[in-house]
Amino acid sequence: MSSFTFSRRGFMGGVAGLAATGLVPHAVMAQDGPIKIGALTPLTGSGGPYGPVMVKAIKAVAAEVNKAGGVLGRQIEIISEDDQTNPEAGVRAARKLVDVDRVSAILGTWASSVTTAVAPICWESGTMLATVSGADAITALPHQGYIIRTQPTTILQGRKFGEFAVEQGVKKLFFFSPQTPFADSQFTNITKAVKAAGGETKSLIYDDKKPSYRSEVDEMLAYGPDVIVLGGYAADTAVLLKDIFRAGYEGKKIAFAYSVNQKLIDSVPPEVVEGIFTIAPSPAESSSAYKRLVSLIDVQNPDPYTTQVYDQANLVIMAIAKAGAADGKSIRDAIRSVSQAEGGTVVDNAVDGLKLIAEGKSVNYQGASGPCDFTAAGDISDSQFRYEQVKGGKLKLLKIA
Amino acid sequence: MLSYLIFTLTLGGIYALLALSLNLIWGGVGMVNLGLAGFFAVGAYASALVAIAGVPLPLAMLLACLIGAAAGILATFATIRLRGDYLAIVTLGFAEVVRMVALNERWLTRGSDGISGIPAPFRAELGVDGFNLFYLALVSVIVLAVFLTMRRLDLSPFGRVLKAIREDQELATFAGKSVTRFKMQTFALSAGIAGLAGALYGHFQTYISPDHFQPLITIYIFLAVTAGGVGRPVGALVGAYLVVFFLEATRFLGEIFTVLEPGQVAAIREILVGLALLCVLHLRPQGILPERIAPAPKPETSP
Repeated sequence: MSSFTFSRRGFMGGVAGLAATGLVPHAVMAQDGPIKIGALTPLTGSGGPYGPVMVKAIKAVAAEVNKAGGVLGRQIEIISEDDQTNPEAGVRAARKLVDVDRVSAILGTWASSVTTAVAPICWESGTMLATVSGADAITALPHQGYIIRTQPTTILQGRKFGEFAVEQGVKKLFFFSPQTPFADSQFTNITKAVKAAGGETKSLIYDDKKPSYRSEVDEMLAYGPDVIVLGGYAADTAVLLKDIFRAGYEGKKIAFAYSVNQKLIDSVPPEVVEGIFTIAPSPAESSSAYKRLVSLIDVQNPDPYTTQVYDQANLVIMAIAKAGAADGKSIRDAIRSVSQAEGGTVVDNAVDGLKLIAEGKSVNYQGASGPCDFTAAGDISDSQFRYEQVKGGKLKLLKIA
Repeated sequence: MLSYLIFTLTLGGIYALLALSLNLIWGGVGMVNLGLAGFFAVGAYASALVAIAGVPLPLAMLLACLIGAAAGILATFATIRLRGDYLAIVTLGFAEVVRMVALNERWLTRGSDGISGIPAPFRAELGVDGFNLFYLALVSVIVLAVFLTMRRLDLSPFGRVLKAIREDQELATFAGKSVTRFKMQTFALSAGIAGLAGALYGHFQTYISPDHFQPLITIYIFLAVTAGGVGRPVGALVGAYLVVFFLEATRFLGEIFTVLEPGQVAAIREILVGLALLCVLHLRPQGILPERIAPAPKPETSP
């Protein structure tokens, strides 16, 4: 019995110790301290390759603004948490950011399920949420304006795929996709565009972990399409492409640029991928914001998510200055007056924007991911797309439009 | 800070229910159930769907329990001849099947979009803070009730039969115990508790999706039960709260060691979870509060 008492005491000590570590940041919390902004990105899990660079971009913006004197006379502190690409873990991280750190905005949630799980915490606590998730349902949540997203919706993406297929003279289009949050909506919008031009479509949802797609490809051949659209991720698309090639399909293929990327092209025989068209929401590569971002974080060709969080950080900081207050509600009310003010001076970074705002001028931010104008629901209203084609084992740019 | 503690404790309670469920089946009968997340999901979806359809919440949660238990019986039917590693693999498969169904049967589960806007009890009346406190109390009371039941069960003849089956199934059969029936009852009860945990989670978070039920949570619960002590309900209970505190406390590492990049902090957190498990297994394989096995009564000696 005595050994039990001992272990209980030890356990209590342990708990107290752990709880005490939780109290540390509380002591340093104060109203006139730094303005806190949360970065909630996937640092581990399937989004793991993206998160670290995203945080880097957010921190770089904050550092730049802090160097120029901060905003409202206060410094900006970025607090980074890992959402583990898992909504359960993401919620725990968000609660910590909101309840302990009392951040006024959370930037960068990546997976759609994480964003949807975190969203209620944000609108209930009056915290701004800027996301890069694409699922259409997100901005349909009752978020009272607290959500903006810089990723084009699948409605827009689907339409672009459909319109491009029409440009290629499509008669019968076949859509291959694993079960994703956007598969349905993408197919619907492709169909809309193709039907309008007199074509027809058919879709097949497959399991993205199969080692072979013979039966799926047979189904596609039986339909006899002249254009196929691949809606999958890199791993399953690589397997699927090989089976399509073996089956002798010779029509056109269109895929997402994030799946048919250089890595995939290098990993399969060149004839398998030759001639595939890829489409992606394009970062505004010719914009001055994009060039600034590249030099700021020293990463060549930053991915779309990084360009988007860079814009989110700039927008939130300028919104704080514009509103003259750093709480989530003020950011929400002011963000559109810095992202799309009519007749505002065009700026590509917060440092310049803050100066203009201090002079009482209105600004219109044009970012690294695009013009960054938001609809009332919080969706981005327009985005450029980048069309490329695989030629001789390399991606050749066709157009950005 | 207070609301964060309340949130963490509530979540700890839900983890504790899962740990008690696992402890019953793993610590009790010795069946390794890697499909815990699956039963958790079944409960969460069942309760959320019927609640949205207008069924009162207490009834919805009860239904989640029953449907979870039914899923448990179904799973035992499929696995009744399996033991050890084979059972573990099949139950892991079960959890994936549940996740796949949730992902693909869009008419029912809304697929990967998940179900948002799940009704939360008295949320409108109590306000956000009041609701969080109320829910903590609700979860804690349920945890306490389940814990007391589990302890009672552990010490009862029923619990002794379970342990007999765990130690030597053939011997238990010899002693006239219907092993299959006991296994099925226990699996059903265990799955029912996991289902209840799922229901509580869904109504607390108001949003669930297939992504919630990745094997990650099963691993955390195994860590909890292993650390706490397999085969003793109080061990599972303590282990679960410890794991949640551990997961949350490690967040603050980055603020103490400011030289670390965010990516490194995240990686270190994951490493620490593994390291903690290794330490427990190495230093105290029987767990913090190990199972107590009463010594066999001495044979009667003549005076």
